[in-house]
Amino acid sequence: MKKVLFIIAIFIATGISAQTKYQKGMQKAFDLWNQNKLTEASQLFERISKAEPENWLPAYYAATVEIISSFGVKNETVLTAKLTKAQEFLDAAKSNSENNPELIITQALLNLGYIAFDGQKYGMTLSGKNNMLYAKALEISPNNPRVILGKAEWEMGAAKFFGKSTAPYCDAIKKAIELGKAEKVEQEFYPKFQLKRAEEVLQKCEG
Amino acid sequence: MMKRILFLLFTITQFSLLAQTTISGKVTDSKKQPILGASVYLEGTYDGTSTNEKGEYTFTTEETGTQTLVISFVSFETFVKIDDVSKFKNLQVKLRDDINSLDAVTINAGTFKAGEKAKVTVLKPLDIVTTASAVGDVLGALQTLPGTSAAAEDGRLFVRGGNAEETQIFIDGVRVFTPYSPTPNNTPTRGRYSPFLFKGITFSTGGYSAEYGQALSGVLDLTTIDKPDQEKTDISLMTLGVGLGNTQIWDNNSLSINTSYINLGPYTAAFPDRNNWLKPYQAASGEAVYRHNFKDDSMLKVYGAFSYTDLDVIQDDINFEDGFRFGLQNRNLYINSTYKNKFGNNWKIESGVSFTNDNSTVKIIDDVVNNTENSAHFKVKIRKQFSSRFRIAFGSEYFITDFNEDYTPVNNQKFDYGFNNNLFASFAETDIFFSKNLAAKIGVRVENSDLLNQFTVSPRTSLSYKTGKSSQLSLAYGQFYQNPSNNYLKFHQDFKAENTSHLIANYQHTKKNQIFRIEAYYKDYKDLVKYDSEIASFDSNFSNNGTAYAKGIDIFWRQNQKIKNTDYWVSYSFLDTERDYRNYTTSATPNFASAHNLSIVGKHWVEKWQSQFGITYNFASGRTYTNPNEPGFLNNKTKNYNSVSLNWAYLIDQQKILYFSVNNALGTKNVFGYNYKNTPNTNGNFDRQAIVPNADSFFFVGFFWTISDDKKSNQLDNL
Repeated sequence: MKKVLFIIAIFIATGISAQTKYQKGMQKAFDLWNQNKLTEASQLFERISKAEPENWLPAYYAATVEIISSFGVKNETVLTAKLTKAQEFLDAAKSNSENNPELIITQALLNLGYIAFDGQKYGMTLSGKNNMLYAKALEISPNNPRVILGKAEWEMGAAKFFGKSTAPYCDAIKKAIELGKAEKVEQEFYPKFQLKRAEEVLQKCEG
Repeated sequence: MMKRILFLLFTITQFSLLAQTTISGKVTDSKKQPILGASVYLEGTYDGTSTNEKGEYTFTTEETGTQTLVISFVSFETFVKIDDVSKFKNLQVKLRDDINSLDAVTINAGTFKAGEKAKVTVLKPLDIVTTASAVGDVLGALQTLPGTSAAAEDGRLFVRGGNAEETQIFIDGVRVFTPYSPTPNNTPTRGRYSPFLFKGITFSTGGYSAEYGQALSGVLDLTTIDKPDQEKTDISLMTLGVGLGNTQIWDNNSLSINTSYINLGPYTAAFPDRNNWLKPYQAASGEAVYRHNFKDDSMLKVYGAFSYTDLDVIQDDINFEDGFRFGLQNRNLYINSTYKNKFGNNWKIESGVSFTNDNSTVKIIDDVVNNTENSAHFKVKIRKQFSSRFRIAFGSEYFITDFNEDYTPVNNQKFDYGFNNNLFASFAETDIFFSKNLAAKIGVRVENSDLLNQFTVSPRTSLSYKTGKSSQLSLAYGQFYQNPSNNYLKFHQDFKAENTSHLIANYQHTKKNQIFRIEAYYKDYKDLVKYDSEIASFDSNFSNNGTAYAKGIDIFWRQNQKIKNTDYWVSYSFLDTERDYRNYTTSATPNFASAHNLSIVGKHWVEKWQSQFGITYNFASGRTYTNPNEPGFLNNKTKNYNSVSLNWAYLIDQQKILYFSVNNALGTKNVFGYNYKNTPNTNGNFDRQAIVPNADSFFFVGFFWTISDDKKSNQLDNL
């Protein structure tokens, strides 16, 4: 009996330790991210994604870090290289999780990276795509606060461009904040709702 | 028992402690400069790190045995080494430049690219439709690029001293046999195909790839959209007619349809031009693209276009007291189908078929000419990428043209004639990147024409060298063959192919939002068609004894957003050309060629008014004409051509746009040449009539409305 228990204990221990490796790795990557060590964070997410080829989360984060760090890049060579890499991560994530609204809105964010860099060159083809992506994400997951916020923010940008009121989108942002506060994340490391950012966006909307 | 297990556990821990291996080394570029921030890791594990300022890396791993070490960094090729983990110590790695990155050399002599895929775009997608003089026509926008001659009364592409037939147009790499809408004399034509269905444009004014044949001067390849963004309906109301478009997407399929009906009747009634229209110009056209994406990334596209054009007009002519009557009915069907697939290890296959059926009935005074052309093009192209530095492409194609015409002179019997022109061609080409700074493209094309019973070999080669961070130098040489035009083949078939060689040197300097390029070329034409009558006919004596040359310099400068919300570009072309072809009595500069061509295009966006304003200025130096009152051939020149065009696009809201444009806003009286009377007047002089546009200025107003589910998209891209 003891023997059996012991063996079970070992099994559990190994199980836990394997999980811990993933947790440790992910945690370390988030720490690097928080310390603004974006290159290291992205590279660690990349390694984890390759070591955990069936988990979409590390690849999702690797893509997200690359996209976020591409905003403000002035050199087209660097920008294209970064976003191409992000696209590869995103494609890898998509292959593990089809029709995932989190990945759909990240694709829209990636497209926005190109549009923000050169609206004339990329805006024509990519803004239509983004409209579709947000519509699709919302259809799959109508109460996902990240989707609602992302869509509202994108539409606010367009409304501003046309000198229209952004008021209709404030309600959507408020709704996203509410949903975000109430959201219970079930999967570990699942994308979290960025409450602080959402409040900033709401301020911009109302302001 | 317990002890044993504890011991075992202990040993395992020990073992893993012992097995920790340190991996270290240094990463540099090809010039031995350390690379900071490169990612170094063992594939499939969590173990890895980034390189420091000195390019050095150190990390430990518990993995044992054979492992894969990966070192990657943007704009370098990824380094991979498979070995025992203990061997990854003090490893010195030189990363190779990634020649696919944006700052690598491109083979570009002679070629302009538009679209987001291109590394260096001279035209953005929006430009086609926001250039003031272009009025939404691809050809109009291309005529603001250097190397083209402004033949405003014709509208077709005249490239570097070549006539319009020397430039071939392709859709997805497959030939379009009859790309231009038919028009009466001195009325510019437009492309038959709407710009809305295309995502990329490659326009080559010389030295093009061995993939393209039967073109002596230029090649225009339009790429259709792979996957439309969304379902939508577009409605266009214009002073000239109406348009309706719709896109549907389901599963892996999509279908886009575009239809339009143009009628110039109301416009010419309100603003009469110099013609007497018996029946106004009217054209109905429809286009459809069906696309299917297969699971394995392969793709099928079917593109079909149908158009019908009808007009009847009496134009003033000095030799005809009652004017010159010209009536035309044309129907044109074009179908193009392409299939792309990948197979094996980096192999790609592209195949395409196109079919054209074109029928025209032309009434010239009281004579009637009816012709039918059935043409087809079959093409297969295979590409293989051995590495990012070495690729090959090869393929074969077959062209069939069946042309029949009948001519019924007034009060006379009908004549029938025609020809079959079948041509087989094969091509092979290789791209070699010696480094990020030096690349070459070497190719050869062979063609066999059944009709001419002739086999031709055309070598093509180009070389590009990066001279600095943002500049490069390119050279290109090529030999080009083209069968004589249908206008001669229908009367006579004992010809050789006309041919020319191109020699091109190009310098390009690019920075973000800025392009400068200068290109010099020399073209040497041989075996051009000559005949000895006023117009080519059965009675003419034909030969291949014509020759010509063209040399010149093209300059292009574009700057975006340097001045806020403003893009502008300037194109200048210098052309020195003489031809001894057709029925020329001597070598002379042809009427369509101007020595100096200048285009300046500017656009400015005013956010407050949600408006884009555009201006285009075109200048062309005088063109030659023959004055029979003086000795010689093409012995005089017209005055210079000047035109200023303006446009204004107003975004009413996100889905509604109002668009105004005026071509030749200043109403400059331009002259393209002179028509002389066939017989001298009483003083022994020949009277003349200036060849002028049908109307000096032309304006256009349109309202464009897009209906889509998200209520966001508009037809800004259509304008």
